Amino acid sequence: MGRKILIVEDDTETAAYVQRGLSEDGHSVEHAATGVDGLFRATDEKFDLIILDRMLPALDGLSVLRALRAAGIATPVLVLSALGSVGDRIEGLDSGSDDYLVKPFAFAELLARVNALLRRSEARVGADPKIIVGDLEIDPLARQVRRAGRKIELKPREYLLLEYFARNHGRIVTRTMLLEQVWNYHFDPGTNVIDVHVSRLRRKLDSEFERPMLQTVRGAGYMLAA
Amino acid sequence: MPTTLRIALLAGLLALASNLAVIGFVYWQTYDAAIASLRHDTAEHVQEFADIYQFGGAVALRSEVEASARAGGPDSLVALIAPDHRALAGNLAPASIARVPLKRGSFVIALRRDGEISSHEAVTEVRRLGETWLVSARLSGGGLALRQLLARSLLIGTGLALLLGLLCAGLIARFVDRRVLDIAEVAADFSRGDFERRAWVGRGSDAFTSLARQINQMLDRITTLMNELRLLSDGLAHDLRSPIGRLRAAADAALRTSDPAQREHLLGNIIRQADELGRMLATVLEIGRSQTLSPQSHFASFDPAKLVAEVAEMYEPLAEDQGIRLWFEGPDEAPPLSGHRQLIAQALSNLVENALAYGAAGKEVRLSFAEQAGSVVISVADHGPGIAPDQQALARRRFGRLDPSRSSGGAGLGLALVEAIAHAHGGKLVFGDNHPGLDARLILSRAIDG
Repeated sequence: MGRKILIVEDDTETAAYVQRGLSEDGHSVEHAATGVDGLFRATDEKFDLIILDRMLPALDGLSVLRALRAAGIATPVLVLSALGSVGDRIEGLDSGSDDYLVKPFAFAELLARVNALLRRSEARVGADPKIIVGDLEIDPLARQVRRAGRKIELKPREYLLLEYFARNHGRIVTRTMLLEQVWNYHFDPGTNVIDVHVSRLRRKLDSEFERPMLQTVRGAGYMLAA
Repeated sequence: MPTTLRIALLAGLLALASNLAVIGFVYWQTYDAAIASLRHDTAEHVQEFADIYQFGGAVALRSEVEASARAGGPDSLVALIAPDHRALAGNLAPASIARVPLKRGSFVIALRRDGEISSHEAVTEVRRLGETWLVSARLSGGGLALRQLLARSLLIGTGLALLLGLLCAGLIARFVDRRVLDIAEVAADFSRGDFERRAWVGRGSDAFTSLARQINQMLDRITTLMNELRLLSDGLAHDLRSPIGRLRAAADAALRTSDPAQREHLLGNIIRQADELGRMLATVLEIGRSQTLSPQSHFASFDPAKLVAEVAEMYEPLAEDQGIRLWFEGPDEAPPLSGHRQLIAQALSNLVENALAYGAAGKEVRLSFAEQAGSVVISVADHGPGIAPDQQALARRRFGRLDPSRSSGGAGLGLALVEAIAHAHGGKLVFGDNHPGLDARLILSRAIDG
């Protein structure tokens, strides 16, 4: 289902690129070129998600964000920024954003994060304690995993990884998202350290079953499919 | 008014005031001493007359006064006065007799000797002997002369003090001017482009040496940062050239090829190269940022031993896939450390990746945590070839790459970032020998408070 997204970005080329991509994915996207315009639109209409550039002329992204939060608008916000240091990311998240993506970014990464954010805001209502994806059943309280009724033994980190995949099932999850959400590290390790963890999880999850659930999405990341 | 002039004037005034105070003190002291000695003399004299009166009565007293008036020195005045202020005997001028108070006591009044024209200050003792009043006085000529001398000295002294004060003031002003101007000149030269010159510090530890030292330290710091920046931009320009070249070549080839599979492969390469460039830039930025971290706003408390264990856990599968045993040695828990958890994790991850990349031949990588004298020591040790002592400086440098054949971008930045992060935590990066191999130790101070 398409959702309503506002992108606040002064660089028209980036804005057009993002707008086109998100529209192709079925969302309706509006564009504001300045912080003031963005703040005005975000307070005027209801959006499902706001993509906010951090460096905007006059009123910068984080000020817009703080103004939004101060006005009681809880719409999920994804901050886009060329400021990519760990400190910048944390400052961005601390200012009330829900996610932070550093420029330059792969569109697949942006799309994956947008969808994860949209899904997270949906999932806030009526959360079932058990997560069920196809024949996979996860009990977050007991930290137990069963597939087709058979118990799967996972190490703590593998469990966290799978739970994150399951909560975002059917959507692309990128390596950076995993690093941030499962390990809480905001840097790019540069090696395939995440892939190794995913492949171990895959071995435990899929090896004894005919149909693999944990799929690799080329050039983007992974996806858990029912 | 210029500060130097103000300091000079203040110094001059202080010198003047202190000189005046000393002279004034001497002045009053000598005067009081002179008066006291005269008072003693007159009292004694009067006592002698009193004894004579008691022994010989009024007649003897009168003849004694007359004798004394004749025989006494020029300073000595004596008189016998009737209650109605009539002179009975002595050498006091009649005008002075009228002024003598007829009551027992010691007074300082101006008196004139009979036959002289001017009165002088005299210490005067008055006592009643029978029906008459005996007056014995000493002109305080000596004391007065001293006093006049002192007054003159005071005048000359004031002049001298003024002169000396101004001289001192000038000297102080010159000294202050010279020291401060020297420092100002160094700063001016620095901003003009002479980065080598430093202010003269001098000995001791006064405000000037401290100012000069602080200025020099600041200039050193600026020079270091400038050099680092130059090195950085040089290195960056150099290192960017080859990936950009490859990027361009791949794009060019993708544009020319008609085979879709080939094109996709080339485009994939382009994205990979672009990511590599991005990662390199991010590391450079991170180094810059970690140099300006402040404990107050960026540090938080966390368990450092847990962090090391977590990083070990993160890399263990990757190492295992490469046939390397990677493990953590240390306590399950440690007292909280105030620092930047993310950056320390990144530094640690860089060290582990280095160990996996360069120390793979040793088949073992050990992460360990230990407390040591107010510091936390995190070590990543491998059994690879290690780093020769003469190459360690190169390894720490940005873009310093020990193996020139490795072309992966950013590899030369890793240790520079680790070192910058260590410095931000009041710590250092130490390369030890793991017999054989490298033992890279990240030493972080516990003394830094957030």
